[in-house]
Amino acid sequence: MKRFRRQFIFGLLALIAATVGALWLNAKYNALPNYAYLTGWALLAGMFVLTIYNVRKKLPFLPLGKSETWLQIHIYLGFFTTLLFLIHLNFRLPHGWFEAVLAWLFVLVSGSGFVGLFFSRVLPRRLATRGGEVIFEKIPALCHALKTEAETLALGSEAKSVVIAEFYTKRLAVFFSGPKNFWNHLAESRREVSGLLAELEDLRRFASEIEKEKISKLAALVRQKDGLDYHRALQLALRLWLFVHIPLTYGLLIFTALHIILVFGFSGGAR
Amino acid sequence: MSEQLPAPEFDAQNYARPNQNYICGNACEGKACRQGPDAKGRCGATADCKPVLKTKPGETKGRWICTRPGGECESGPLPDGSCCNPVPKCSPVPTLRLWRGRVTLAVIAASCALLLVILGNPPWRNNFISPGTISNPHSGAAFAALAITNHLNESCGACHVAGNSGPNGMVNVAMRADPGILDFEKIASASAANPTAIDESCLKCHAGRNFHQPSAPQISCAFCHAEHQGKMMAATTDANCSFCHGDAAKMNPITKNTVAPVIHHFADDHPQFRFITENLHDPDTLKFNHALHLTGPTIPKLAGGEKLDCAFCHQPDTAGAFMKPVEFEKNCRVCHSLQFDPQTPELQLPHGSVEFVSAFLRSLPKQYLNLAAQFGKDEDANVFVEKKLAGLRAQFGSGEDLEKRVFFSTSTTAPEISVGNVTGAARAIFPGCAYCHEVKNSSARAPEITRPIQTERWLVQAKFNHLKHTSVACAQCHDAVHSKDTADILLPAKEACVTCHSPRGGVADTCAECHTYHKPLVAAQ
Amino acid sequence: MPAAPTILERPQRWDAAFDANMTDADVERLLATAPFSGMAAEKFPKRTPLREILRNDARILKFRKGEIIMRQGDYGTSAFLILQGAARVVLKPDLPPSLLGRQATNKKGVFRTLAQLWNRSRPPEMLPRTLLGQSSGVSARQNEKETRVFLQDVPRILDQHRTAQMIAGEFFGEIAALSRMARTSTIFADSDDAELLEIRWQGLRDLMKYDDALRTHINKIYRERALASYLRATPLFKNLSKEQLDRVAEAVEFSTFGDYDWSGEYKRLAQSGSVRPEKEPVIVGEGDYPNGIVLLRAGFARVSQKFGGGERTLNYIGAGQIFGLNEIAHNWRNKESPVNFQFSLRAIGYTHLLVVPTRVMEEIVLPSLLKNELPPLVEKTEDDFDSAAPQTRAREKVGAEILEFLTENRFFNGTASMVIDLDRCTRCDDCVRACASTHDNNPRFLRHGPSAGRLMIANACMHCADPVCMIGCPTGAIHRESFAGQVVINPTTCIGCKSCFTNCPYDAIRMVEARDERGEFLMDQEMKSIAKATKCDLCVENHGGPACERACPHGALERMNLNNLDALSKWLKL
Repeated sequence: MKRFRRQFIFGLLALIAATVGALWLNAKYNALPNYAYLTGWALLAGMFVLTIYNVRKKLPFLPLGKSETWLQIHIYLGFFTTLLFLIHLNFRLPHGWFEAVLAWLFVLVSGSGFVGLFFSRVLPRRLATRGGEVIFEKIPALCHALKTEAETLALGSEAKSVVIAEFYTKRLAVFFSGPKNFWNHLAESRREVSGLLAELEDLRRFASEIEKEKISKLAALVRQKDGLDYHRALQLALRLWLFVHIPLTYGLLIFTALHIILVFGFSGGAR
Repeated sequence: MSEQLPAPEFDAQNYARPNQNYICGNACEGKACRQGPDAKGRCGATADCKPVLKTKPGETKGRWICTRPGGECESGPLPDGSCCNPVPKCSPVPTLRLWRGRVTLAVIAASCALLLVILGNPPWRNNFISPGTISNPHSGAAFAALAITNHLNESCGACHVAGNSGPNGMVNVAMRADPGILDFEKIASASAANPTAIDESCLKCHAGRNFHQPSAPQISCAFCHAEHQGKMMAATTDANCSFCHGDAAKMNPITKNTVAPVIHHFADDHPQFRFITENLHDPDTLKFNHALHLTGPTIPKLAGGEKLDCAFCHQPDTAGAFMKPVEFEKNCRVCHSLQFDPQTPELQLPHGSVEFVSAFLRSLPKQYLNLAAQFGKDEDANVFVEKKLAGLRAQFGSGEDLEKRVFFSTSTTAPEISVGNVTGAARAIFPGCAYCHEVKNSSARAPEITRPIQTERWLVQAKFNHLKHTSVACAQCHDAVHSKDTADILLPAKEACVTCHSPRGGVADTCAECHTYHKPLVAAQ
Repeated sequence: MPAAPTILERPQRWDAAFDANMTDADVERLLATAPFSGMAAEKFPKRTPLREILRNDARILKFRKGEIIMRQGDYGTSAFLILQGAARVVLKPDLPPSLLGRQATNKKGVFRTLAQLWNRSRPPEMLPRTLLGQSSGVSARQNEKETRVFLQDVPRILDQHRTAQMIAGEFFGEIAALSRMARTSTIFADSDDAELLEIRWQGLRDLMKYDDALRTHINKIYRERALASYLRATPLFKNLSKEQLDRVAEAVEFSTFGDYDWSGEYKRLAQSGSVRPEKEPVIVGEGDYPNGIVLLRAGFARVSQKFGGGERTLNYIGAGQIFGLNEIAHNWRNKESPVNFQFSLRAIGYTHLLVVPTRVMEEIVLPSLLKNELPPLVEKTEDDFDSAAPQTRAREKVGAEILEFLTENRFFNGTASMVIDLDRCTRCDDCVRACASTHDNNPRFLRHGPSAGRLMIANACMHCADPVCMIGCPTGAIHRESFAGQVVINPTTCIGCKSCFTNCPYDAIRMVEARDERGEFLMDQEMKSIAKATKCDLCVENHGGPACERACPHGALERMNLNNLDALSKWLKL
């Protein structure tokens, strides 16, 4: 893991150096009368650089540098900007309504960023280990195909097995009807599917030879469906965190613009 | 690895297009149509094919040909040229990406709408944008009424220029702010102490800043008095004061390197009190020996049997902060009765005016007569008077001599038994005015006695309240028991105060404890 | 002569004859024509008789005047013999790219680059009408079997370019066919009754084996035209003088191995399990006497070692690499304890190589090298890995599973394979979107493909060192945009014949149906939708290199040269 380790060490060292520098500067200049203005502008500059990553992503055809480099800067600058945020607030909770909402927006944006970073580094490995690689947009069609296959197997006119049909209607129909077990899969819990498979195995006691074969096939289908669900759950998580991170960023920027107007309009310097 | 699932098979003949915003509505069932939705999400499906009119040479009408990709269908197109197999339109599904874009736009719209609504509505606006509770004096109906009286706007507008503006007005004011939004250098180098627009609002009610030094620079009210910090306005801090006083660069041009030292904290570098450093002395001409009065063995006890203590002479005034001036009649005559006739201790000289004393002495017969009438002596009043006068003459010779003795005698010339009504161990010869006062010969009829000065305040720059110090014994601060000279200023050095007024002592030691900023200088008396 | 079909021993390739329509009459006619008439049929073994070679490995093509037979830069696997009529070779300067069905690939200018901002609203696979017609001086006509492209204005071409005529009896295209190099010249038919015999390389090779005259002839022209410059460029011979090089060139033997072509056949064979190292043609066997070093000139070979009952792959080597130098250098320095070949070398698919005999090596080449340029001595240890050249440590570098995965799927062919690290990929599709944004809103690869553990090779054109897709394109639409450059398809001249699509073993080419600005499918005269072949072009027209690589936020995607394992082993240690 040389290249990624190198990136990590370099980024971490830069972050530590920046943190130490920022805290030292904070201690030194804290008493400056307009200190909050200066930290505010630094914070805004950080937020601005973080936001234009979104712009870069929309211009992949321009030679603006590798997205990987941009993301590294985005991540470490994100951490540093959180520190700037704390410095700007002087490590205290704001009081008024507007400032509280503004602070919460920032917390949500950076918090969702941390969650996203965690997801991006943890979930792909799980997906690769589990196997069954599939493109996200193809999952509904594959799911549907599995459902049709399972239904035909269990309930079709040639099925001729009451035991299996009953079990399918009672337990498996719901399982195959759509994506399932989102939270279970995120938590790496196989409880649900293990339960289903165990029940399916139990049926073998009452099954004839042909039915045993059907049960094996059904079990294979259950496993395939579970694999699909797993991929859907994790890939969806990898997409959904951005539903918090990006929209709230723009909300935050709007609130920040108003914050600047309020600060300059209501501070002593207003004329 | 063997546990790994195999990748599901799917139709890999076509590209996956995550760059499109919409997916065919039938894709979830695996039956995505060939046409696909357009960029705006409209289903493009019409029919299986688009029939084409083919006219062979020589024909007039021609024939419609089916153009289905998989090969011509059996029935062929309808006579009017439309395909026999229309495909029902689906409802294209927006992708997650598109949803994300919509959510982003929604959040932007909602933020703008919410903020505009709130900002356009004054009561909501004020509550929303206020960064903290306003202090009690500046909130409430009374303040609002006062604001109007003093030609201020109501609520936020009472102080803030933009206080009553909607969003438009706020932006205008923000643009006009000084330092401006993008004046980074000015922001970085600006001094918070500079007066601002808000100060003008303060001055509408709090007239006149009344700086403690006329030469001090103008300082913004908000610099020391921060609003929006809660129901109680925050107390000023040492930092506020040391903003100037802790900065030699600021102080020296003002004081021209003469007096002001750099001060940061009372316990650390507050200078020693000036009366000590300048070795001042009490200019009082009245001779008084505290040590003698408090510890001398010959000092008689008071009426109740107690020793003479500080409280007998030094009484707090009505407010309790300071002490009343010592009065002769109340505090001194008790022992120093001003009697001059050992046989007649009841006859006491008046105190306060040289003319009165002189007149009294010249009218001694009358005085004795009054005394006789007062005390109801048996003998004839005149005889009484004659007897007394004879005794005086025997003692003092002439009237002038007596007068001289009265004014100028500084010590006892013969032992006295009692001074006044108080009986002592030995007889004291009465001390004259000069015993305590500075008596000077003068060309006028009566000698000149310098009026004693009771300096009211020594530490004029500070405020002090004896009432707050009742837990402290007088002697802890005022070293009277060791003072023999009137010239001694019996005030404590700074260290005595620091004992308690310091971080270690635990009592409040901010500048504001003792010094006020706004009241004009108290003139030394 | 009794034509007893030798079913059991027939070469597998003859299951699908080059041209099923070769009749006996055709074969007889050929046998009567030079040079076949001069060949001694008895010299050919029963397994591959001359007659059957001609029947199964050759076909007769008719050309009309102006029709293009081959284009300079094309890849081909056949040689041609003019039976009747004439053909013209275009000498320098060659025909402009537009006449060859290609387009000049220039990087996009500022306006075109910025205009990509508005790509999002374009319908998929929109083909502007301007690109549909081509008035470049060539036209296509349909044969019963295939499409032929012909030059419209032959006199002007003759006027503007120097050409040479070839008449009946002349051979051309042998070297390109045997060595899998790109064709060196454009050749078009010069008479309306031109008839050419096309022989595929396997047939040519077999003919050469058993006919002295043909062998001598081809040897001679090979040495004259191709060998000398190649040897001069080989680092091993850099210290040799011209005279020494000539001596080496004279002694070198070349041969071409392989029984089947890459594409369709290989896929079929792989699925049926016929593709096993043990079944591949052996170039050099483990334990054989080292009679020369093997210089690989084109194609790939597998380096393997006996392991248990089978063969364990240690590495694969590609063009420009050498096999056997260690052993021969060792023997030269250590005459008392010589060693044999430590590993076996097997051809994978198609392999063209040179053998420099040991004698030449010992007399001329090895003495010219400095001490530190010589490889280390071969040591006999328990674990032969350690004694081996760095090539054979590949197994350690990337791991057995991945080595097998690459070799089985022939991924080592790629010079720009799309390698995805599934441990880092967040499946965000930024790569696909970037590809679409640089290609008029059309992605040119599928983010899916065979995977082994955390490695996935996606279905994106690998720009192979040996591009089988380029063989057989009738219009020259698929071509290399520069010498040894990227393989690109010119959508204007592509007629959707699916040759490249069928040939590609890696599912990298996809056929798409062209549409107009409204998103409606375009139709041709026969009411069929217009299909075009599309694939990744490695962003030749864009600034900044492949957009997919640049767009991946997590460093999970790389376009990697898998011809050797250096890049991959470095990447795996990421």
